[in-house]
Amino acid sequence: MLVMGEVHTGLLQNSGEISESTCRQVLAITAGETVRVSRRPIVHALSPERLTGVDCALPAASRSRVRGVGTVVSRCVVTGGRVAQGSSYVRVVRSEADRRLPWSHYLARPGVVEVLGKAKAADLAEGFTGDPAPGCLDLGAVSGRFLDLVQGSPLLDRLAPFKMSRTSLRWVAETGEPSIRFTLHSEQDRTLRLTHPGPFTPAVVDLCEDLATHDWLLTSLLVIVERARIGSTPGAQAAARLTPAIDHLLHLWMPAARVEEWLTPFWDSLERRPGFTRQWHSLVNRVRDQIATNTLALLSTSTEPGRR
Amino acid sequence: MTSVHATFGEVAAERRIASVPLSHVSVELGHLYMEDFEAGPERLREQFRRVAPWLATVRSLWGERVPGGRARVSTCFLVDDYFSRFSTPDELVPMIVDAAAEHDLTIDYLARESACARFEDPRSGGVELARLVEDRLVDDPPQGTDGSRPPVKETGWLCNGSRSPSTAPPQAMGKARPWEPPVQNAKRGHSIFVDVELWDEQGPRRTWSCPFLAAVWQLLRLGLLRSDGRVPLSPVTVRDGWPRDWDQLPAVVRLDPQAAPFSAYTTLSVLSPRFLPVELAVRTILSQVAVDDEVLRQVAGRSESEGVRLEEELVDRISYVFV
Repeated sequence: MLVMGEVHTGLLQNSGEISESTCRQVLAITAGETVRVSRRPIVHALSPERLTGVDCALPAASRSRVRGVGTVVSRCVVTGGRVAQGSSYVRVVRSEADRRLPWSHYLARPGVVEVLGKAKAADLAEGFTGDPAPGCLDLGAVSGRFLDLVQGSPLLDRLAPFKMSRTSLRWVAETGEPSIRFTLHSEQDRTLRLTHPGPFTPAVVDLCEDLATHDWLLTSLLVIVERARIGSTPGAQAAARLTPAIDHLLHLWMPAARVEEWLTPFWDSLERRPGFTRQWHSLVNRVRDQIATNTLALLSTSTEPGRR
Repeated sequence: MTSVHATFGEVAAERRIASVPLSHVSVELGHLYMEDFEAGPERLREQFRRVAPWLATVRSLWGERVPGGRARVSTCFLVDDYFSRFSTPDELVPMIVDAAAEHDLTIDYLARESACARFEDPRSGGVELARLVEDRLVDDPPQGTDGSRPPVKETGWLCNGSRSPSTAPPQAMGKARPWEPPVQNAKRGHSIFVDVELWDEQGPRRTWSCPFLAAVWQLLRLGLLRSDGRVPLSPVTVRDGWPRDWDQLPAVVRLDPQAAPFSAYTTLSVLSPRFLPVELAVRTILSQVAVDDEVLRQVAGRSESEGVRLEEELVDRISYVFV
């Protein structure tokens, strides 16, 4: 019917970026399962997947009661040793039986939630990306716990260089005529509606996580620039407030680096409108210009006669 | 120049899952505890006498089911060296093999129960099979579980539903709640509620329960366990005589060099009815173990390619004869 997921993204609670080997240890959340790491073009580490059992109402825009039973797939991601994510999703399918079956039935279908009774995909998609009623499937809480799992690792020093809120991206993917709709709701909440050709594959999850990472980077850089209060604070102070961005964020921008080729057109279309990379570059230039002007100012004061 | 299609791969970014050779069925001919040993060799002979006709039946049933009639059947025997240590391998193994031979039974593989908890691997050091399985438990959720809170757990226990709420009064002067029954999640009409102790701890030492180790044992026989993508335990042939110490004996010993593979698509255990509660507990555990997706696909693909249709659910691949 449809796939729904939620990604929570935040700044890794550590003073500096962590090494590849530390990433492996932080993400080793299941005995005997390997952490997958890719190094090009940016270090990207993926924990093993874990399942969580659920048996609850699914969010429906019509507020009709739809019961779903099955498992949620979750994993943790660390990008560039700096950005941490907790990500969960479920594939929603119709149940062939009209009653709850023994648990072994659901474990033979990891990541699938079976709907008992009638439900319309559009109703669930609207419900999930809208305002889900309490008591409904809460993927956000599950993803939040997986992000906590990373952030709570004893290997991290919990001395993050700046404070930044987590963002949440709630997404729904369906098969059909290709389209993508990215919506900013509040400071932290985003939704994504994606219609892709062909059947769902986990590559769609990679795309959503990649979008969430870059949306968080952009949001964070905006916040840092805003906090610097360029123009209303002395140049040196503003420049000092911008330094964390240079130290920790600017090199992480790698849109669609890990997205499968058939899904890159979705990124491309978001690049046209609203133009994530365009906004990013404009912010980066602003940061660099501030630092450059401040450096020039410092140089000129230090060369003034009598001020040595 | 036309566009060039580039492919780039990174080994560390891919998952590799090894495969195991598989028989059609793995038959457990028995399970030896200290009390059986103390009862003398007669108890063992009696066990094999009861088992013999069932093994013949299994062979002929699988012979009919497999195209060409060439069913691969392997037999195994489990000795408890975890809960109590008795005798020595050099004394016990020949005794078991001889008692089986009296009833024309061949034991292909002999395993130590403690290996299901932990064993020393010459290559990778200590392997904790029980921990591998523990991390793969996915609790059967009662209705209303929406993911907003972590699963309700009683540490070291696993059940198939919701436990009775506590009836103790919240404070000394409070009113006690009336008793409410526990509820099985997938009940049909009435509940059969099962709550299994997985382990207990005394100080730093954890003792795994018999059903938990038996669940590990079933997963090993089904060839469904992997550690970092590798097969964690392979049978070993002992060439220089039986050791005097259980720890010197490999986790699973191949007694017959010509035997069909140790792991199999399905398992059958021929057991005394006194093991019935243990096996109910084993099934309760196994129905909450999430086996690696890739491993399940591998096994399903292999069985289909040789014309054998396997049950989708793991617990349905396990059968018993209680005699």
